[in-house]
Amino acid sequence: MTESAAAGLHPQPAASPEAVAPTKIQVNDLHFYYNGFHALKGISMAIPEKKVTAIIGPSGCGKSTLLRIFNRIYAIYPKLEARGEVILDGENVLDSKYSMNRLRSKVGMVFQKPVPFPMTIFENVAYGIRHHEKLSRADMDVRVEKALRDAALWDEVKDKLKQNALGLSGGQQQRLCIARAIALRPEVLLLDEPTSALDPIATGRIEQLVEELKSQFTIVIVTHNMQQAARCSDLTAFMYMGELIEFDGTEKIFTKPSKKQTEDYITGRFG
Amino acid sequence: MNTLYLRRRITNWVALSLSVLATLIGLGFLAWILFETLRQGISALDLKLFTKITAYGSDGGLANAMVGSLIINFIGIAIATPIGVLAGTWLAEYANRTKLGETIRFLNDILLSAPSIVMGLFVYTIVVLPSTTLTNGNTTFSGFAGGVALALIALPVIVRTTDEMLRLVPSTLREAALSLGVPQWKLTLQILIRAARSGIITGVLLALARISGETAPLLFTAFGNNFMVFSPMSKMASLPQIIYQYANDPGDAMHALAWAGAFVVTMFVLLLSLASRLVLSRNKVSHD
Repeated sequence: MTESAAAGLHPQPAASPEAVAPTKIQVNDLHFYYNGFHALKGISMAIPEKKVTAIIGPSGCGKSTLLRIFNRIYAIYPKLEARGEVILDGENVLDSKYSMNRLRSKVGMVFQKPVPFPMTIFENVAYGIRHHEKLSRADMDVRVEKALRDAALWDEVKDKLKQNALGLSGGQQQRLCIARAIALRPEVLLLDEPTSALDPIATGRIEQLVEELKSQFTIVIVTHNMQQAARCSDLTAFMYMGELIEFDGTEKIFTKPSKKQTEDYITGRFG
Repeated sequence: MNTLYLRRRITNWVALSLSVLATLIGLGFLAWILFETLRQGISALDLKLFTKITAYGSDGGLANAMVGSLIINFIGIAIATPIGVLAGTWLAEYANRTKLGETIRFLNDILLSAPSIVMGLFVYTIVVLPSTTLTNGNTTFSGFAGGVALALIALPVIVRTTDEMLRLVPSTLREAALSLGVPQWKLTLQILIRAARSGIITGVLLALARISGETAPLLFTAFGNNFMVFSPMSKMASLPQIIYQYANDPGDAMHALAWAGAFVVTMFVLLLSLASRLVLSRNKVSHD
């Protein structure tokens, strides 16, 4: 707590009661380079446990980049480099000794476009579990059903679990991707603009789902939709040009931000 | 305003007419070829064509050549498919955007356009000649050697299509699987190959269509045989080689047999192409 307070970016406890929650992810002086381009410039922030943290900002501000560092998915591409610390439960996940397998079972991710695997609905959810655990058939059935229920998809698919997942609608596919991610029982769930490819009704469902899931998971959501951040997050971080401008309780960010740039962005003067 | 509109309509009309004309020329030749092979070969298109062997000459059929073609093509595809799919997978998933990968992709494209007679001579040198020493100097032309030559022609086609089909799989699918902690090899075998499966099958079918019509690589390898043989280690007849041989014969009955054989090969290739289109369209569920 003391070092994040020193960074000056921890949400003020007095203004936002949400921030009393313990820190789940502590980011310290994080820099990121795309093939030499300095994309993140010294980000420090403390993401609290079992809260929804939204990251907003104009296109190219680095919000997705930041999210993609939390589970090191960026590392699958060459010439990308992250420097600094991302402390998850006391351990730096950027340390090369931190097992990728362990990191990705602890930190799940859902992407902008729904990307179901080319297999049945059941297999989509079971696939990841099978890689990490050996379960009996009955246990697997229970796990898959629980994940689908938690993702608010069970009632729609319970009679067609053996059908190809590519036949579902876009909104259903995205909820299937959420089910697939939470089936591994991660502690953190990263959502990278999860509704930008969906219609308003499907978007509403996902937002409601985020609200329900935060009792179980620490959720970090990147969105370019400010209303979405305002509707479903407890804390909001505003980023601009690779820097974290302001990070505070969502209500404070949207009603009386302390930085001029945040206010300009929120009120639509740029971005 | 009006002259601009008129000019655009004229330009459109000219461009449309030219492209329709070009299409008609292409399709016209195809129809002509089909019609001509049928017209010239119809007198020989009977049950005898499929039941009797070439040993009877003008009184015979092409049964042994058809069986030979099937065996040789099967050997070719059976060799080329696993190697081609694995190599294409390596190019797309492990060596994409690396110098080595780009070099091999380029070399594969060269192999793709190499003259098929070169493949025949190459296999003659590496398979037929060396095995001669094992048989006390007897020449060892064989269906197997023919299959190897055809495999070398099918291989670059399969490498190319596998590579391209895998690279068409959206990278988000890779990210999604890797973000579940799934390792690269599982991702490749269980998800990516599955996602690209119909495209890869199409590539194999097209490669099969391509090799079914090859004559040159078989002349120095399978050689030909007037009798029905099933052992891939013996000399073996094939449809393209018999067509080539009969077309050089002075007898009209032989010509008719050659035309009928050409018609059978053409129909086979046409059916394969249709089958590959069917495979592609059946699996076309949107990825968006």
